[in-house]
Amino acid sequence: MFKRTFSHMFTKPATTKYPFVKPTLPEGFRGKPEHTIKTCNMIDLSGTQRELGFDVQALVNTNCTVCCRDCPASAITIVEVDGKKRPQFDLNKCIFCNQCVESCSRDAIKGSKNYELAAVDKSSLVIKPQPNAKEGKKQ
Amino acid sequence: MSNKIDIINVVKSKLGDKVQIQLGQLGTAAINTNNGLHRDVLKALLEADEKTGITAISGVDLGVNLGVLYHVHTSNAFVTIRAEVPKDNPKIQTIVDLIPGAAFHEFEVSDLLGVIFVGNELKGHLVLSENWPEGIFPLRKDVKATEVKLNPAPVEEKAPDMGKLVKIIIGPQHPALLEPEKFAVTVDGEIVTKVEPRIGYVHRGIEKASESRTYIQDVYLVERICGICNACHAYGFVAAVEKILKTEVPERAKYLRVVTLELNRLHSHLLTLGHAGLEIGYETLFQYFWRDREPIMDLIELTSGNRVYASLMTIGGVRRDIKDTDIPKIKTTLEDLRKKLPFYRQVYENEPSIKARMRNVGTLSREDAIKLCVVGPVARGSGYDIDVRKDDPYEAYGQIPFNKIVYTEGDTWARMNVRMDEVEESINIIQYAIDHLPTGPFRIDVPRNVIAGESISRNEAPRGELFYYVKSNGTAFPERVKVRTPTFANIPSFLKTAIGENIADVPPNFVSLDPCFSCTDR
Amino acid sequence: MIDIWLILRILIFPGFAFILLLTLFCDWIERKFEARIQNRVGPLVAGPAGLFQPLADFIKLLTKEDIEPRDAKKIVFRFAPLLAFTIMVFAICFLPIDGASVLSTGGFSGDLIVILTFSTIASFLMFLSGWASANPYGTISSARVLTQFLGYDIPLFLIALTPAFIVGSLSIFTIAAGVTLASGQTIPIILLAPWAFVLFIITMQAELEKDPFDVPESESELVGGVCTEFTGAKLAFLHLTRDVQIVFGSALVVELFLGGPYGPVFFGLPAFWYSLWFVLKLLAVVIITEYITTLFARLRIDQVLSANWKILLPAALLSLMATVALVTWVYPLV
Repeated sequence: MFKRTFSHMFTKPATTKYPFVKPTLPEGFRGKPEHTIKTCNMIDLSGTQRELGFDVQALVNTNCTVCCRDCPASAITIVEVDGKKRPQFDLNKCIFCNQCVESCSRDAIKGSKNYELAAVDKSSLVIKPQPNAKEGKKQ
Repeated sequence: MSNKIDIINVVKSKLGDKVQIQLGQLGTAAINTNNGLHRDVLKALLEADEKTGITAISGVDLGVNLGVLYHVHTSNAFVTIRAEVPKDNPKIQTIVDLIPGAAFHEFEVSDLLGVIFVGNELKGHLVLSENWPEGIFPLRKDVKATEVKLNPAPVEEKAPDMGKLVKIIIGPQHPALLEPEKFAVTVDGEIVTKVEPRIGYVHRGIEKASESRTYIQDVYLVERICGICNACHAYGFVAAVEKILKTEVPERAKYLRVVTLELNRLHSHLLTLGHAGLEIGYETLFQYFWRDREPIMDLIELTSGNRVYASLMTIGGVRRDIKDTDIPKIKTTLEDLRKKLPFYRQVYENEPSIKARMRNVGTLSREDAIKLCVVGPVARGSGYDIDVRKDDPYEAYGQIPFNKIVYTEGDTWARMNVRMDEVEESINIIQYAIDHLPTGPFRIDVPRNVIAGESISRNEAPRGELFYYVKSNGTAFPERVKVRTPTFANIPSFLKTAIGENIADVPPNFVSLDPCFSCTDR
Repeated sequence: MIDIWLILRILIFPGFAFILLLTLFCDWIERKFEARIQNRVGPLVAGPAGLFQPLADFIKLLTKEDIEPRDAKKIVFRFAPLLAFTIMVFAICFLPIDGASVLSTGGFSGDLIVILTFSTIASFLMFLSGWASANPYGTISSARVLTQFLGYDIPLFLIALTPAFIVGSLSIFTIAAGVTLASGQTIPIILLAPWAFVLFIITMQAELEKDPFDVPESESELVGGVCTEFTGAKLAFLHLTRDVQIVFGSALVVELFLGGPYGPVFFGLPAFWYSLWFVLKLLAVVIITEYITTLFARLRIDQVLSANWKILLPAALLSLMATVALVTWVYPLV
């Protein structure tokens, strides 16, 4: 033990000095689920694009609500927006298991590597789908 | 007993027509008894094989009756004895005089289902809180958890004067414990005379919660029973459900599951080895072990997407595959860890302060280990060589060569050495599995509604044998999920080994059990 | 008559302010060094390279709520931490730091015994503060504190007398000045009795309650040891007392064995160079004791006691006898 501790006086520490140095994440890291809305209906959510929000192009849901049924933490609720049923993600409850990513048969939800999700206000972590006045392209 | 069926034939010859034997159900065989014949069956098993012990006692709500299932393990067979009691008079004879280690299991069934074991009655509560109302048993089907009204908090009684004995309360919040439990240790000067445990501070009612969630959601729920051994919990549940569905998982999935389970074992053992250093005041060793544990966490992140909750198991296989580009990184990390092990072995062998604190502390003899039905490294450190991966191989363990690690000294030092050697064995297993990964699919589809049936699964978690019993009723929701965690079976041994030792020996002794209270309380 | 110079010396340098800053600096050095040995970084963010971390900890504790248990003995509970801190600082004031001590220029014969007594009283006050807490953890821990420091005080005194024998005086100033050889050179005591130096470091480790003799403060069994029930300002002073004890112990080693503040003077004021040598030697001793702390695990109380009565006390007696023999017969020949 003596030799090992003595040699440590001259070696670099093993600490990663987060938050000054960010770690590199592997592919497939399960971060925030991102609802990719493919070109479809009127709902164009790019107006609500925030760093914290989804990457949104257009919506492709088939009203199947599988993501809501399969979520273990009941973090997805279905809200009615403009006559279509859309998922609303509550990141306060999400456990980042990415089961919704697997269940969606249309690949509308993708995982991302975003993990720095701390917020001061709980309601800002509820990702609501919002209607937009602009018409989207029809599928 | 060379053949598994031999012991069943012994029972058949002794009891004949009084019991019904169903081979292949719930283990090697399920034996249906009534009229209190469970004690006779147990006596017959005990006479035939001295290594008989209780794995778990499950209580099931069958509507009119309450079912009590005794899951008994012998040297190479696993037998389930079924008994039933009516709900209005739920009395059954205890088996504590035959197997002392069954006491805690009987308490739990009493507490949660209301079965009264004549001869071993429960005073107070085991896992429920002090202000739980009397007469309401949460696991019965007619009780809704949200409608139970709790009593006001009980007034604390003044402790009786004990003269020169001092009662030190370790916990619920204490730096020696990672998770809250209360141990009231009575000391005379510096020597411990009695230990009274109170568990249940982390009881979240997961068994009841799993009955109102679908099978897919339940995989994530049971994974969160424990953060350190999460892959084993997920695997236990998934394996039991697959046995009910009678599906066979593809070969590649089996090997990938072995890799996940062994990575889980690696990080858990390194955690315990470091934590033991912290308990004896050896911070330097703690920091070194946890520094070497970080690359393993990075590996788990690489294969599964998250450092702690791997969430890789699913019903029908695994959720994702290992990429070929990742395999060299896995191998180099494991080789680096293997090179560091001789330094730690030499520290454990030669360092005088470690030997002064860990040798001859908390000694558990082999007979006590068998009688108290301990599992895992605690058993293997006392010469009781049980290991589910060898006794009852599951997944790909039957095809991978590895050694069973057994030490005979029975003290804290032996148990830590068992874990250290198991780290090396795990590295070997993972490398063999990666080298021999079969090609093919890693997942198959399964129906969402599971047909009616029941089954068990056992696997070797880092702390010992983890046991699951799942009963389904044809809907998308399970009927009963019973979990018996290894720490629950190991706590009675601590109550015995702490007596007669110094109070300063209680933390190292306790940590060598590798307690995980989230598992214990569920 | 108020002597402004004396008041400045007491309050600022080398008195109260200097000792306080030195204590906080030694705390920082300890934490950084321990972190380095454990392959990690220590304090990093508060101030440049974490220099202000001990000060930040002290100020944070001062702002916390002060809670008193109902059954604690009020007067002892409130005053013991402050009194212990004061006595330790007072003891340091007798040591020569810049050629002269805070209170006098030459010391007096017998002040070695006086400051060792002060350190005993301070340890006793720590015991009292745990005893007055009305908490089972505090009770057991204070019993351990008493057993340990009373046991180890005896070898401490014996080994501290070794330099006194060599030099022939009980005054710290004379001991710190070292032995003057026939050639006119002065050498520190460590070269004449190195075995006493090693034994003194080990005994000082036990007096300061550091690993492997960390028993009274063992975090994993007794939650906070003596300090369990203290919060707020009282806890701040208890922690500070412990740190000042470390400075005092290391300063004692420096004075008795390493030649005190005396060293080569290159230019300018001798007082500046003497303080510089004092601080450097102090840091060296602090690093040595911290290194021993990181190397070992914590021993049990019965192992600590058997190490004292069976090993350390006979070794101290032997060392004293050997030194006396050497001084009487061998060294005058040199």
